[in-house]
Amino acid sequence: MNTLFGGLSHFQALLLFALLVSLTFAFLSKRGASERAKYVLWAFLAFLLVAVGIGWLMYPFSQ
Amino acid sequence: MDEAIKREGSTGTLVMGIAAAVAGWVVPGLGHLLLRRWSKAAVYFLCVGGLACAGLAMRGAVFATGAEDMFDRLGFLADIGTGGFYFLAHLIQTAGPDVAHATGDYGTRMFATAGMLNLLTVLEAYEIGRGRRT
Repeated sequence: MNTLFGGLSHFQALLLFALLVSLTFAFLSKRGASERAKYVLWAFLAFLLVAVGIGWLMYPFSQ
Repeated sequence: MDEAIKREGSTGTLVMGIAAAVAGWVVPGLGHLLLRRWSKAAVYFLCVGGLACAGLAMRGAVFATGAEDMFDRLGFLADIGTGGFYFLAHLIQTAGPDVAHATGDYGTRMFATAGMLNLLTVLEAYEIGRGRRT
C-alpha cells in the first residue's frame, strides 16, 4: 500500500483525489453512462483548474 | 416524475433501507451490492477505499474519539464515515501519521473526504432501500 500511494507527488495526489471524487459524484448524481462520463470529465477538469488557479494566485505570497 | 417516485416507493421497506445503510457504512459499496446496484457498489468501494487507503499511505492523521478541540471532533465525524477503514486504519497505516510534511496533511484531508463521500453513498443506499430512489 505504501509503495503504491506513499510516493505520490503533490500533483499526482491532486489527480487521484480529483478523479476519485469526480467518479463518486457522477454516480451519485447522474444516470446513464454518457451523462456520467461527461460529468466526470467536467468535474475532474474543474478540480484541476481551480487547484492550479488557486496555486497560481498564492504564488506571490510564497516569495 | 412524482408518480414514478411514488410507485417506486412501494417497493422498498424501512428495514431494507436501514440494512443497506449500515452495510454501506461498514464496507463502502456493500449497501448497494445488497440492493443489486452492481456498478455503483464497485465504483463506491474503489473510490472510497482508494481515497481512504491513499490518505493512510500518505501518513495522514486519523482523528480519535474524545477530542477536546472542535476541529478534531469534526475530523472524527468525517473519519468515522469510512466505517471499516476507520477501524482498520492502524493496520493499513503501519508507519503512523506524519502531518509535519505536506503529504501527511493531504493524506488527512483524503481520509476525511473518503468518510464524507461514504456518508453520501450511505444516504443514497438508504433512499434506494426505502424505494424512494432508483
